[in-house]
Amino acid sequence: MNELVMAVFGAMLLIGAIGTVRSHDPFDKLISLGVLVAGVMPFLADRGYLDVLAATALIAPLSTIFILMAMRREGHGP
Amino acid sequence: MAPEFVLGLALLIIGTVASAFPGRRDYLTRLIHLEIPAWGLLLVMLSYDEALALFTFGGVSALSTFIYVRVMQKREAA
Amino acid sequence: MIELLLCAGIAGYAALRVVLERNTMRKLPFLNVVSFAVAGAIVLIVPHPLAVLAAAAYFVGSTLESNAIASTWAGGGKKDE
Repeated sequence: MNELVMAVFGAMLLIGAIGTVRSHDPFDKLISLGVLVAGVMPFLADRGYLDVLAATALIAPLSTIFILMAMRREGHGP
Repeated sequence: MAPEFVLGLALLIIGTVASAFPGRRDYLTRLIHLEIPAWGLLLVMLSYDEALALFTFGGVSALSTFIYVRVMQKREAA
Repeated sequence: MIELLLCAGIAGYAALRVVLERNTMRKLPFLNVVSFAVAGAIVLIVPHPLAVLAAAAYFVGSTLESNAIASTWAGGGKKDE
C-alpha cells in the first residue's frame, strides 16, 4: 500500500480513538468507535488476511449491538 | 518497525488510560472505552502475522462484551 | 493509484467531519460516507477476487451497525414505558 494512503488511514484510526475518549454522549462514543473500526480494516487488507477481515467485519457490529442493548435498558434516549 | 505495531501500541495506551480513569465514572463509559485496547491488541497481533490468534481474539472480544453486559444487568437488578 | 488516493482523501475528510460535528444525528451520514470510502479502498488495495467478498461483508456489517445506532437513538426509552 502507498505510504500516503497508510498515513491517512492511521490518522483516521487515531482521530476515532481520540474522538471516542473526548465525547460525552454514549451515542457519540459509538459513532466515533465506528470510525476507529473503519480505520483498522485497510491494515487487515494490506497484510492479505481477507478471511480475517470478513469475520471481523461481521463480528464487530455484534459488539456494538450488545452495548446498545445495555444502553436501551438504562434509558438513554433523545 | 511496522506501522501496525506502533499504532497498536498507541491505541493500547490511549484505551487503557481512558478505561482506567473515565470522565464519567459509569460502567457504560468504561465498557465503551474498553473496546479501544481490544482493537489495539488486534493490530499488534496483526504485526506478528498470527492468523489463528486474530480469529480467536475477534470472536472472544464480542463474547466477552456480551458477558460483561449480562453480568452488570444482573448485578444492577439484584 | 489516483482512485485509491481519492478514496483515502474522502475517508479522512469524512472522519474529521464526524468528530468535529456537534449534532448526533448529523454525524451518522458522515459515518456512512466513511464506510463507503473504506469499502472502496479495500477492493482497490488488494487485487484478489476474494477482496470483493470481504468488502461486501464489511459493507453489510457497517450498515447494520449504523442502522442499529439510529434505531436505538430514535426509539430508545419508549420500549420500557
